[in-house]
Amino acid sequence: MAEIINDKQVFSLLEVTNSIRKTINDRYGSSFWIKAEMNKLNHYSHSGHCYPDLVEKQDGKVIAEMRATLWRPDFERINAQFQKILKEPLKDGIKILFLARINYDPKYGISLSIQDIDPSFTLGDLEKEKQLSIQKLREEGIFDQNKTLSLPLLPQRIAIISVETSKGYADFLKVIEGNQWNYKFFHLLFPSLLQGDKAPMAITGQLKQIRKVKHHFDMVAIIRGGGGDIGLACYNDFELAKEIATFPLPVLTGIGHATNETVSEMIAYSNQITPTKLAEYLIQKFHDFSVPVQRAEEKIVYRARRLLSDKNLSLRNQVKYFKSLTENILSYNKTRLAQLPKMLAKDIDGQLNRHSIYLNQSIEQIERNSDQLLKDQKQLLQSLEKNIEIMSPQNVLKRGFSITLVNGKSVRSTDELKSGQELETHLFEGKVISTIESIQKSKEE
Amino acid sequence: MKKEITYTAAFEELQAIVNEIEEGEISVDELSEKVKRAALLIKICKDKLSTTEENVEEILKELEGEEPI
Repeated sequence: MAEIINDKQVFSLLEVTNSIRKTINDRYGSSFWIKAEMNKLNHYSHSGHCYPDLVEKQDGKVIAEMRATLWRPDFERINAQFQKILKEPLKDGIKILFLARINYDPKYGISLSIQDIDPSFTLGDLEKEKQLSIQKLREEGIFDQNKTLSLPLLPQRIAIISVETSKGYADFLKVIEGNQWNYKFFHLLFPSLLQGDKAPMAITGQLKQIRKVKHHFDMVAIIRGGGGDIGLACYNDFELAKEIATFPLPVLTGIGHATNETVSEMIAYSNQITPTKLAEYLIQKFHDFSVPVQRAEEKIVYRARRLLSDKNLSLRNQVKYFKSLTENILSYNKTRLAQLPKMLAKDIDGQLNRHSIYLNQSIEQIERNSDQLLKDQKQLLQSLEKNIEIMSPQNVLKRGFSITLVNGKSVRSTDELKSGQELETHLFEGKVISTIESIQKSKEE
Repeated sequence: MKKEITYTAAFEELQAIVNEIEEGEISVDELSEKVKRAALLIKICKDKLSTTEENVEEILKELEGEEPI
């Protein structure tokens, strides 16, 4: 109870705090739902208790702030819920909807005693943030920017953002280093935190480093694995996503088993679910190059052989054809040549025949003609004979003429005669011998 | 880029030769030349699959020296 000191009613501090506690307990007897941003979780791993800093901001400024307590059993239960539903642990910087009582402790003052946190509210909020990141990337026109880059045919030189001790990194190297096809990769690790609130800045920092030596690399691989699928919300961070989107090299991600793709994975050149899958994707790129080269070799050898053998065959066929053609021509001509004498003989026979017929006809004609001629001649001869008969000495003699001979020669003129010569005169019947007495010359001139 | 033909160009040219030969556009006269060329291209491609010329030291040096080369 209050004392009176110097006319003043004085309370002890405990009395005041007890009064406050009583008032508060009377006024805020039951629990109620509150929404706030958890600025810091302040989890003490030794005790397992948390002492979150809760704030409410307006235009980025803190307009209300309270401490809270979250005891170990509640924390463990709620954290498990969060990991199950959000794939995120309870962590700094998330908005939470929580069930709490206002608690006043004389020693520690006023605070909120958190009994439960609704994960779906935070989930919605994280989703909202994620959508906001996506929207901002789209607004800046860079959402698809990394995808428009082109990966070389052989993505051979890889800048890896990972942790040396991570299982994902080991898985990745196992596939690309130990490949049975002797594909050769060059890779360099740029170590970075890969999950939690500090990851975006760490990864962004390494990306900036890689930018400086980008001409040595074909691509960036962000690899994380083995850590389960908790704590990936950092890949929804706008600044990180923007750095990836605008990165001058293709950025490929293999960061987890998230069922819900993060923004960084969405805007990456290519996203593979696990580091192993990412490595296999790269091996496949090598196959895509190697197999056609191998095929090309086989095809060219096969086709070249085939072309040669085809040409050879066609040449042989040509030769064969030519040979058979010439043989045909030869044999045709031979046969013809062989037949020629026969044909010639036949021809000659024919000719002879024709000529013979012609001759025969000619002979007949001649015969016919000559008979006529003979007949004509005979007639002519007969008429001549008649004439001759008429002219014959016998006939002349018969008609009273006579022939005078001297010394056996017929006398035509008195010049041949001399007086006293003996004349022999032939008559038609008989002859007369006489002697020339005188000669009378016929008058001349 | 250091070589006269990049492996990408070699790959494309090789595909072109394969197409030509498959389409039967290559005559026997050109065949020897094309096959020789293809052999070279195949070698360039195969070499690229199994070698890289990057050097870690060089990259680290560039990272330390702030001046971009």
